[in-house]
Amino acid sequence: MPTLTYLQAISAALRDELRADPNVILMGEDIGVFGGAFKVTDGFVDEFGTDRVMDTPLAESGIIGTAIGAAVVGMRPVCEMQFSDFISCGFDQLVNVAGKMHYRQGLAVPITVRLPSGGGFSGGPFHSQNPEAWFMHSPGIKVVAPSTAEDAKGLLHAAIHDPNPVCFMEHKHLYRRVKGEVPSGVFERPFSARVARPGSDLVVIAYGAMVPVALEATEDLDGASVEVLDLRSLVPLDEEAILDSVERCSKVVIVDEANATCAAGAQVAALIAEKGFESLDGPVVRVASPDVPIPFSPPLEAAVLPGVDRVREACRELLAY
Amino acid sequence: MATHTAEPAAGGAAAVEHLTLEDRIWLLRAMLLMRGLEERAMTLYRQGKVPGSFYDGYGQEAVSAGAAFAMGPQDRLCILHRDLAAHLIRGVTPARILSQYMGRAAGITAGRDGNVHFGDRRLGCVGMVSMLPDMMLVATGMAMAFKLRGERRCALTWFGDGSTSRGDFHEAMNWAGVQKLPVVFVLENNQYAYSTPVDKQYAVDPVERAAAYGFVGVTVDGNDVEAMFEAARAARERALSGDGPTLIEAVTMRMHGHAAHDDMKYVPKEQVEEWRKRDPIERQEARLRDAGVDIDALRAEIKASIDAAAEEALAGPMPDPGTATDGVFCTGEAEPLGDGQAPWSGFGAA
Amino acid sequence: MSSSPTDVLVDVTMPQMGVSVAEGTIVAWRVEVGHRIEADQPICDITTDKIDTEVPSTASGVVAEILVPVESTVEVGTVLARIATGAASPEQPLDGDNGGPSRTETQSPSTPTPRAGNGHRRYSPVVQRIAAEHGIDLSQVEGTGRGGRVRKQDVLAFVESAPVEEPPLHIESPYRPEPVAPVVDGGLSRMRRQIGEHMKRSLDTTATCTTWIEVDMSRVEAARARLGVTALAFVARATIDALREHPALNAWLEGENYTRVSDVNLGIAVSLGEDGLIVPVIARAHELSVEGLAARVKDLARRARARELTPDEVQGGTFTITNPGQYGSIMATPIINLPQVGILDFEAVVKRAVVVTDSDGNDSIAIRPMTILGLSWDHRALDGAVSAQFLATVKRLLESV
Repeated sequence: MPTLTYLQAISAALRDELRADPNVILMGEDIGVFGGAFKVTDGFVDEFGTDRVMDTPLAESGIIGTAIGAAVVGMRPVCEMQFSDFISCGFDQLVNVAGKMHYRQGLAVPITVRLPSGGGFSGGPFHSQNPEAWFMHSPGIKVVAPSTAEDAKGLLHAAIHDPNPVCFMEHKHLYRRVKGEVPSGVFERPFSARVARPGSDLVVIAYGAMVPVALEATEDLDGASVEVLDLRSLVPLDEEAILDSVERCSKVVIVDEANATCAAGAQVAALIAEKGFESLDGPVVRVASPDVPIPFSPPLEAAVLPGVDRVREACRELLAY
Repeated sequence: MATHTAEPAAGGAAAVEHLTLEDRIWLLRAMLLMRGLEERAMTLYRQGKVPGSFYDGYGQEAVSAGAAFAMGPQDRLCILHRDLAAHLIRGVTPARILSQYMGRAAGITAGRDGNVHFGDRRLGCVGMVSMLPDMMLVATGMAMAFKLRGERRCALTWFGDGSTSRGDFHEAMNWAGVQKLPVVFVLENNQYAYSTPVDKQYAVDPVERAAAYGFVGVTVDGNDVEAMFEAARAARERALSGDGPTLIEAVTMRMHGHAAHDDMKYVPKEQVEEWRKRDPIERQEARLRDAGVDIDALRAEIKASIDAAAEEALAGPMPDPGTATDGVFCTGEAEPLGDGQAPWSGFGAA
Repeated sequence: MSSSPTDVLVDVTMPQMGVSVAEGTIVAWRVEVGHRIEADQPICDITTDKIDTEVPSTASGVVAEILVPVESTVEVGTVLARIATGAASPEQPLDGDNGGPSRTETQSPSTPTPRAGNGHRRYSPVVQRIAAEHGIDLSQVEGTGRGGRVRKQDVLAFVESAPVEEPPLHIESPYRPEPVAPVVDGGLSRMRRQIGEHMKRSLDTTATCTTWIEVDMSRVEAARARLGVTALAFVARATIDALREHPALNAWLEGENYTRVSDVNLGIAVSLGEDGLIVPVIARAHELSVEGLAARVKDLARRARARELTPDEVQGGTFTITNPGQYGSIMATPIINLPQVGILDFEAVVKRAVVVTDSDGNDSIAIRPMTILGLSWDHRALDGAVSAQFLATVKRLLESV
């Protein structure tokens, strides 16, 4: 198996899909000739042409809206938001048109929206957000957030094959930092959680860029046996895997890079309170960004985003409880 | 693409070149059925049988009937809430429409959505959402797919004068112009967006904007069903020939309030009276009566069909509350839109 | 009145002994007005329809008032007595005689009052669930979490180290009488008939219950080998110490008269073969070491079998140990030797695979010499909690020899 970066894995998935299915098209700003702001589609136009690797007008609502139209007549559009932050401009189309379509009239909308998300590189308030919770709160939209190169590829294939709108949260911080062996060709990873490392004293529940943070923070935690559960999919949320980890470990730290209020981790915490209460041996602890825009200057940004130290400290505290 | 100014469409009896007598009767039938069904639905609303609010297209029947009649089976439509005739032309039965209004299981959305917020996907229609004009982008996307695949089809959508103020109007017009897509935009200018008159909506007649986006804009008498048909037919021709989108501004008047609760006090009485003289149904009836058509028999036939539809719809069950959470996600294969009915004689076999 | 008018008076109230309990009766006062009493020291005994208990003083000081006489039944929360703490209350000088101030006003900030919300009293959902599943009294579990909080691993370790305990209030006796007085060819000997009558009277009179506990005898076995004595001597010594800790079992119940005995006069049942058995008594057994007990047991058994015991040597027992375990049986339901209220049955020590936890909390399976101690006790004299606590004490002592 080739070793690919997270970003190369995403590229490979898109290339494999374009080769395998003539209905797959890529739509986005600067993805064609330029190859995308992060070079995910670098060189694609040479193989697939400008129709299938489409440089669109600078219009996020237009990208989502036209993708919906194309999808309901049989295409499989994969939209790229240049930064996930810009999905706010396409929010209405995604939430009101795509998300409600099947419920209202039984019409499937197979679109994938790629959302390069997250901070950690001085992107500032408009290039660092983690907007996944908005879509978790919107019925009819699936949300996935891989943390490894293999899952990035397998989940992207699964997202494109899925008959529903799927928000694919790809974390910019992982693009070139995460590497791994990735199977060639088209394969799917399920929309379910994955035990990244088994343990029994405490479980850290995370997704996306917080998975490697959780693994590093708990690698050697005074000999404690710490499980790390990688959610991978936020909608659907793998309740069974979460409750299974809670049952075994009884102590839970939930990590979001997103700001805390109503974030994905809040939903996980609520689920545990509701269905895992009898397994708990301590308060459910959350580590997340405070409710502020992500600041630009490095010391400010570092003060906001959860890192290895904060996660480790939270685990230590809870283990001692 | 040269700049086009609004062209007055042919009106009166001059538009019949592409219409047989049967076609012209079909157009009247669609309008009569629309008006009759909406009147019946309003009665049901007052009887407490229709939940929520109720919106109708009284006085604007020609806009949807004329435009939809020009569309082929493989064309795709995003239909607005005052365009019931378009659904009827595509083949949705009156009983299903009344069931839809009443939130019954047999309605097109089986009670998930109300009013004319529906589209029968098997008949090539996508139901609208309330965020207007979101469907302009959806129609643009469908047209984009047709063009990418090299298919000779078009997409058509309707939207109102209020919609011209929103960003999605611009994004769709621009996108369609840039990519020269086979899409027909029908601006249903009925003078009011809820209570807001057009002079508070735009500074320039929106049909002029088509030129700014690089395609043709035409203004049509929206109360002349045959003129509406002709404008849409020509727009479709343009689309299928690869000449890009068309903006048709159908000038009409909303003769009822925004919804059942709206007494329309903000509309001058003279304006309503003036438009009443231009009722699209009376105009088409006059033409056909001149051509020897028995209008009374047609009306009787339609009334009977509405009575039967109401009886059927009222007898139908309400949706099972146990199904309220079903169908949020598609769990099987994604099925694209199907083909609709296309009764115009120009499509031959129809 | 021994308190000055400016003394802070702290109320001792009738406690709520269970959610449904509304009132209680004073059984006895352990102090008189003017006596010095320390906080948490029992000030009186009460009885309710659920439980009999003692009431600990809420403060240290001098008993200023006793407000409820013996035999009186009062509502929960009624002030039973007032303790003058000696602390002056300059802001609110009190007139202790006139109706009394409310408790919140009278308690000085330094009064050590038990707080319902402290770390020792709150248990996490998983700890409570495990405790409920295994019938564990969480107050017995040592906590290793912050502030001594009982954590999941603590209660799990407890489950593995301790057998399931009975619920603290023993309501229905599981005891079913077995046939006594085995038939001997040609009729019963006089001794057999006497034993039979004695046993039958016990069963007819007492409310006999039997409680068991499993004990790891590893340390006893090692010590026994070292000292060259029987395991019974260790069990006897542990029993004596446990009786000192739980004196309710070292007693006689004759009719309505229940007498706790300060000395432990330990009876040891000695089999006389087919003739029957006899229970010689080691008087003042609490004064003997393990070796001393071993020597006395050996001596008494020898003389019993030789029919050399004097009448004094078979009288005055306060508690009995029976030890048929030498034949390999592992459990029995011994019959109480009237007028005593308890009898301990010590059966065979057998090797079993058990889960053991090391000091780091790691579990493993080990082969350990184990035994089951059974205690029959008279429910007229005491309740299941006492018997369970007694057995737990014996176990603890034997496992820490």
